[in-house]
Formats: sequence, structure tokens, C-alpha cells
Amino acid sequence: MSTPNPKLPAAFQFSQSNLQDFVDCRRRFQLRWLLRLSWPAIETEPALEREREMQRGAAFHHLLQQHILGIPAERLSAMVHDPALQTWWENYLAFTQAPGEFAPLWQPETRRFPEIALSAPLGSHRLLAKYDLLAILPDGRVIIVDWKTSRSLTRRKYLVDRLQTRVYPHLLLQAGGQLYGGPILPEQVEMVYWFAGYPDQPERFPYSPKAHRADQEYLDSLVNLIQRLEGDDFSLTQDETRCRYCIYRSLCDRGVKAGDLTDMETEPELAEALELDFEQISEVAYDMGAATLD
Amino acid sequence: MSELFDLTPEQRQLVDLPPQSRIFLEGPAGTGKTTAGAARLLRLLEAGIPASEILILLPQRTLGTPYLEALNQPEAFTGGMVSLLTVGGLARRMVELFWPLISAQAGFSRPDEPPTFLTLETAQYYMAHLVRPLLGEGYFESLTIDRNRLYSQILDNLNKAAVVGFPHTEIGERLLAASDAEPSQVRIYQDAQECANRFRGYCLENNLLDFSLQLEVFAHHLWGLPQCRDYLNASYRHLIFDNLEEDTPVAHDLVRDWLPEIDSALLIYDHDAGYRRFLGADPDHACLLKDGCEQHILFEASLVSAPAVQALNLGLGDRINRSRQPLPAEDPRPALLYETHRFFPEMLEWVTGQIASLVYDEGLPPGQIVVMAPFLSDSLRFALANRLEARQIPVRSHRPSRSLREEPPAQCLLTLAAIAHPQWGFTPGKFDLAYALMQAIEGLDLVRAQLLTEIVYHVRQGAPTLSAFDQIIPETQARITYLFGERYDTLRLWLEQYQQDAQDEAHILPLDHFLSRLFGEVLSQPGFGFHASYDAGQVTANLVESIQKFRWVAAPTFGQTDAALGKEYIEMVKDGVIAAQYLSGWQIEAEDAVLLAPAYTFLMNNRPVEVQFWLDVGSRAWADRLEQPLTHPYVLSRAWQPNTQWTAVEEIATSQERLYRLATGLLRRCHSRLYLGLSELGEQGMEQRGPLLLAFQRLLRDLAALEEQS
Repeated sequence: MSTPNPKLPAAFQFSQSNLQDFVDCRRRFQLRWLLRLSWPAIETEPALEREREMQRGAAFHHLLQQHILGIPAERLSAMVHDPALQTWWENYLAFTQAPGEFAPLWQPETRRFPEIALSAPLGSHRLLAKYDLLAILPDGRVIIVDWKTSRSLTRRKYLVDRLQTRVYPHLLLQAGGQLYGGPILPEQVEMVYWFAGYPDQPERFPYSPKAHRADQEYLDSLVNLIQRLEGDDFSLTQDETRCRYCIYRSLCDRGVKAGDLTDMETEPELAEALELDFEQISEVAYDMGAATLD
Repeated sequence: MSELFDLTPEQRQLVDLPPQSRIFLEGPAGTGKTTAGAARLLRLLEAGIPASEILILLPQRTLGTPYLEALNQPEAFTGGMVSLLTVGGLARRMVELFWPLISAQAGFSRPDEPPTFLTLETAQYYMAHLVRPLLGEGYFESLTIDRNRLYSQILDNLNKAAVVGFPHTEIGERLLAASDAEPSQVRIYQDAQECANRFRGYCLENNLLDFSLQLEVFAHHLWGLPQCRDYLNASYRHLIFDNLEEDTPVAHDLVRDWLPEIDSALLIYDHDAGYRRFLGADPDHACLLKDGCEQHILFEASLVSAPAVQALNLGLGDRINRSRQPLPAEDPRPALLYETHRFFPEMLEWVTGQIASLVYDEGLPPGQIVVMAPFLSDSLRFALANRLEARQIPVRSHRPSRSLREEPPAQCLLTLAAIAHPQWGFTPGKFDLAYALMQAIEGLDLVRAQLLTEIVYHVRQGAPTLSAFDQIIPETQARITYLFGERYDTLRLWLEQYQQDAQDEAHILPLDHFLSRLFGEVLSQPGFGFHASYDAGQVTANLVESIQKFRWVAAPTFGQTDAALGKEYIEMVKDGVIAAQYLSGWQIEAEDAVLLAPAYTFLMNNRPVEVQFWLDVGSRAWADRLEQPLTHPYVLSRAWQPNTQWTAVEEIATSQERLYRLATGLLRRCHSRLYLGLSELGEQGMEQRGPLLLAFQRLLRDLAALEEQS
């Protein structure tokens, strides 16, 4: 069967997730984002463990959003029953109370925006990102906090290479002005990965004008490249170890079994990938019509 | 950015109103209201209003397309995101967010546990769980109806109570008061009420929220909660509410209450619509929102229909309503083409020929053509799609749901799952297995699959088993071919290995994980039937998702093992409770293709086309409402006077009104021509003379008479 060759639709929206896919494997980008191909193979084994980790991660993010929006911690604590989630939650509460470099995040004067999405033009398309937390500090700094719930501490080198580390601060500069109340300068921005299981080992990435210029050029060149490609130009990655964690491995004839969870470095990114679409955000998956069109 | 739209002076005037305005915009379909709404959205953004402060409310997500297209323009805005929501979607978000603050006061038995939101499927599952035992006790004894229809109508009643805004405990009473109180009907309504009560009680006990409970919790417990209201008021300062006539009284109540607190609003109201009345839409109630707006604007001139189509619309509408209005000055006949045939297939040939002529002779893009019938059966869809494709005309089809359990890949997966889990006690028939093997193994035809099945498939002590290919005599092996034999053995060994592992209960996989693994490790590998079959991948993904949602919801309630839930899921599929309908997600569809759609689906897509074809014009289904013995869209509405009887007079009047609104709505979305596919015998071979056909005949007679006179 020949592969359909859809072009990048005019309404296509870039995100760190789809750009990361492109960088990792062009074919994966094509299958997942251009063809929107559902291919329900197991991503990693043991799948049930992975699923529980994803659910726990989602519950943690939700809990923090509720807390930052003002629901009292005692009330939320009563709702946490899973021991691992309990540990993360306690780590987080301690993080919000701890003195030191992150204390300004939790000062009353700090403006906090949990689960906020920003969007700006990127070439002839749009770039979107959903932030776990944006905090505008009284001294004018803006901290991007990303809650990480992976089972192991992610290597700094790995984070440096992730598109997320480049896209989030870059887009904040492009699109955060209204929120901030004026233009944001690169040196005011810092990206922090905070690990729920390793609360004392956050990874910090201060932004800079140089990084901003480099990111702009990089993203422009990436998008230009994607727009030029078609059909077989979306080639398979040379790094076949990636295929062990890719659901399309059977389609590409790149293996049978899913990779082992313990060797996997990335953490679930499903929530963002699915939610970044306006239409996906819009609606509860319930259609009364179906109930009655009997 | 609002310059992107080519606006009329009226539209421009509306768009340019000061940002802090509350506007009620009304008019017939096709007068450019939604275009003005989308342009207004861009104007608000241009005026510096943060995108995240704008909420677009819609009764149904398909109606959001024009707004999404406007927002997807690269230069549309920079900053936060505009929210497009239904009131149901908003309710769910708020319940999810503020649950810890209201779970106890809303009456849930486990306020410290998270809520579980039910989908249509899982709600039906729980309803089946509660109602099935009652059926054995004689509930609904006098009613002949599919079980899933029974369950869905009880849910529908709960939804009606929620969206109309009356206590769910009054459903039976209201229905009874309007009925002729035949003893059997009395019992049916009482049973329906009892089932609704039990379902609601069960949901409260187990933190389950179906659509009705989500909305009620939002309206009764969250809307007045200061934390929630403050959050909403801080998040959304500007509202665009389009097609409010298709929304429900409770949605209107909430918006009416909210209007004084927000900075601006644009409310858009379609005349002569209300197509979702059977879902609780209340166009009359929507009009009350006008009082909350300072600016009232009316668009009257059609930007869509040619004068002849407008005349046809007027003339036909008058004849449906049997009013004695004179014929329109413009002759509608240039816009109306028809030909009568004896048999349905002849009519389909004629329709196909006309479409081919439009596309090839007149150069009309296929996307400008829609073919509609009141209901589009699979056979009609197939017959038309085949004929059009034979002429190389691209076709696309919209249907609200698809039956997952009838998809061949899903049948294959469930058959193989039954074989891998002998402890479930299901033994697939030989044909089912042969069919599954044909799907599973690339290139295997049904004859070989049946031959293979005859030899290798056995039921031993009630358990299905498969034997090895090499135990078959060489001549038969050769007939089946060694290539297929090898693939069959790969599949068999995979299933066997799983069975061995699963002897330890800890290794039994949840059914969705089992299917994902079977799909990834065997069926989608080279040489197997799902390899590079995008459709099979989509069907498998839908099935896996359906099972996963079921498992996530059911496991905490019943505390069952994963294995037991797999069996339960398959039993529910067999019962027709789940996987009977599935809301298909994003699909690859040719955009410039002839659309085949049920009439109401086309209306709710709200996209005008150049040419429409109406089929099955003689069918009564154009006017009749759905047969729903357990519910009633008019009696369970806010306007219905309690203790009034629903009689044939109301039935006829509402049927006529429904037909008028449908025909008018369709023609207002037609640019230049309407073709009628007429056949004396309908799709089922029956002679049909429904009210739509009679109205066309009256119109044509009147036109002929007028011509004679002049």
C-alpha cells in the first residue's frame, strides 16, 4: 500500500511535541502529525506500569493546578490516597514552603498561571505550548516551571537537547507580553524542571538574548525544512534504538517488541500532545446525539 | 485581521461596534451572522483583548469550524488561547477543577475520592448493569425494544431533566400527565422513572458522573460557588455564543445570569431553526437572552441563495404550512430539477448521472454538492458511493457514529481474544474464526481460511484450541500454502505463549493491552493483515480506547480483576450495549468531495453548498420524530404546560413545524439548485407519499395553474 502524501495543512500548529518528533524521526512526524495515523501498538513494557505512571503523573499535575488556583492544601491532601502520589504531593508542599532560591515563586505578590497555553505565529503557521506553571515574580523575572514525574532523574544533557527547553522560553518571549504587561526580556526568563521524586535536584535553564536568537533561527529553519518536505523525504531515523519506544515500529519494519520502561528516559507527554488542538480542548467526549439517535 | 473577511456594510457595522458591547444578532441562516461573529472575534483580538479572555460557546463542536479557521490564521493573535466550549464541556472542566469543594454537598458518598466521568458507552454500561436484573422482574415487559435503545432513552430522560432544569424525579410524572394513561404505558413510565432514580443513586454512591449529573452539579453547586464564579469571571471577560437556538434552557439560564458580569457579548440566533430539539434545544427560550443585550441587530438578506432558490424556499414553506400566501414573484422552477422513477435504483442512477454532469460538464467542484436523505442507511450510502466512485467522483460521508463491533478488524480482534482466554468460556464459531484468520493473515482468502479452520480449530472441554499447521497432511498444506501456514503458526504460537503465561493470573493482561500487544507484535507486522492498513489501525485504536475507558471506569467500582473486566466487556459487546456506536475521531477525508449525509447532520455542519440533492422525498421520516417510547422531547421541555395531554393535534402541528424548519434550513444553505431524487417505490420497496412530497406537488400544481391563468 502506498503512503498518502498529505502536505502540511494550512491550519497545522507546531508544538514542542511535534517538533521533537520531527527531530527524532521524520517518518514518525509524518505518520503521527500529517497522517494522524492511529497505530495502537504498545509503546513500552510493562504497559500497565507505564499506564499507572501516566495516570499518576496526570493526577499530580491536576492536584497542583487545583492548589495553585486556591483550593486549600488540607482539602486536597484528604483526596490523595496513592502512596507514590502522596510522596510527590508532600515534596511539592515542602517545595512551596522551603526558603531559598525558589521561595519567591510562592510569595503572595507573585502572579502564578497554572496550565496556561500560549500561541504565536511561526512562519506561516502557529506555535503553541501549554505550560505547567508560569510565575511572574515581583522583581520582574518570569519562571517557567515544568513538573516532571519520571521515575528516574533526567540527565541535564538530555534536557538540554529537548525541544521543550528551547520552545518554552522562546514562545514565552513571543507571546507572554500581554500576560506580563509589556515585553519580556530573555534575561528575565528561566526554565525550571522540578522533579516530583527528586525535589532537591531541579534543573535550571536561565535564558539569554543569544539563546533567544539561536532558537528563533533554529525554529525557523526547522519549519522551513518541514514545509519543503514531501512523501519519502520523511525518512526513518538512523538511530534504531528510538524505534523500541515508537508505536509505529511494525509499520516501519523496525522490530516487534516494545522497549523496556526502565531504560526509557522520556516521561509521558501524552497530555500535551492531545490537548494542544483547539478542538481537542473544546469538549467533553460525550455526545447526547449519539444517545438519542437510536 | 478582520479584513480577511469580505464583509457587507451591515456586517462591518457590527464588527466595528465598541468592544464593550452586548449584542444580540439574529436572522435567518445564510445571512452572514457567523461570518460576522468570526470577524468580530478577530476585531476583539486586534483591539488588544487577550485571547484567553474570550470564550466561544457553541451547542455542538462542529459549529466551531469558522471560528477555528479564523484563529488558525498565523497572524490572528499572539498570547493565550481562545476557548471554544460547549456548556457541557465547561461544566465538566469546572467539576473536575473544583470537585474537592463540592463533592460532599452535591451528595456523593465518597467525597474524598476523585470523580469518574462517564462517556456515553460507560453510562450505558452502568445503566445496563442496573436495569438488566429488573427486566427479569418484569420491568418494561410490554415494550419491544432493543436493549441499548432502552438504556439510552432512560439516560436521555435524565439528560432532559438536567438540560431543561427540572428534578429527575419528575420525569415519569411529567410523561404520565401528558399521556393517555393506558395502563401499560403508565407502567412503562413508572419503570423508566424507577430506573432513572436507581441510576442516579448508584452514580452518587460511586462518584460516577454521566452527562446529566455533570451539568446538574455545575448548575446547582458550582455556578453559585464563589471560587468557581471568580475563576470563570477572571478567565473569561468576553463571550461569543453562536447558534444559541440549538442550545438548552439551562445553558441559556447560565448565560443570562452571566451577562451582567462580563465585559462584552455577541449572541447569535438563527431564525426558524432549533434542529436539536430532540436533545433539549429550545429556540423560544433562547430569545429571552435578547433582554440582556443593549444592541439588537437583525440580518435579513441572504448572502447564500440565488433568487430562484429563495422563491422556492418561500413557496415550499407556505405549502408545508398550508398557508394561503400568494406564490413568490420570482419563478422558483429554474432552481428545481427532478425526475420521477419507478424504482429506487433507477433514481440513484439518475442522481449519479446528474452529479457527473455537474462535475464534468459544468465544472462544479464535487465539494459543492451534497446528497441528503432523512436517514442515510449504510446500503444507500454504499450504493451511492459505489456509483460515484465508478465515475471517479470523490465522495465523503458524515455519520454521527459508527458501529465498532461490526468492523471486520474489531471482529477479528475479539475472536482472537476469546481464543486466547479460554477461561472466559466463549467459543467462537468456525465461520467467525475463519473470518478472523482471513483478516489476520495478509492475502489469505476465505476458502483457504475455512479449510484451515476446519482442520485446526477444535473445542475441547468447552475451551477453543488451535492445532499446528505441520499436523495437517501435506496435500492440504499445499492447498492452503506453506506461506499462509507459516503465518498461521506465528499467530497460533503467539496466542499459545500468551495462554501459557496467563496461567499465572498475574500475567493476564487487561484486554486493551492484550489487543495492543497482539496488534503490534503480530497483526501489524509484515505478512499480516493489519500491516500498513491504516483503517485496521484506526479501528483497533478505537476498540482499544473503548476498552480502556471501560476498564478505567469499571475497575474502581467493581474492584474486579483485569481478566474479569475483559470478559465483561465482550459480554457487553455481544449485548449491543457497548461498541454499538463509536464517535469517530479525526478522519482522513477528501475535502473536495461530494458529501453524503443525513439531512440534520448537514444542517449542523452549517456549511452552504452550491447544489443539493434530496433523496427519498416521499418518506415520512422528513417530518416524523424518532419513535421513542420512553421519552418525549416536547413534553420534557420547559415550555410544556404540566398536566396537558399530548394528542394527535400536537403531533401533527409539531411534525409540520419540524418539516418546515428542516426544508427552510436546507434551502437557506443552498446556493443555486435543488435536485429531487423521486421514486415511486422507496428504498424498502414501499410506495411513499409523505408530506414533503405532497408540498412539492402542491407547489408545482400552483405554479402550473398560475402559468395557465397568465
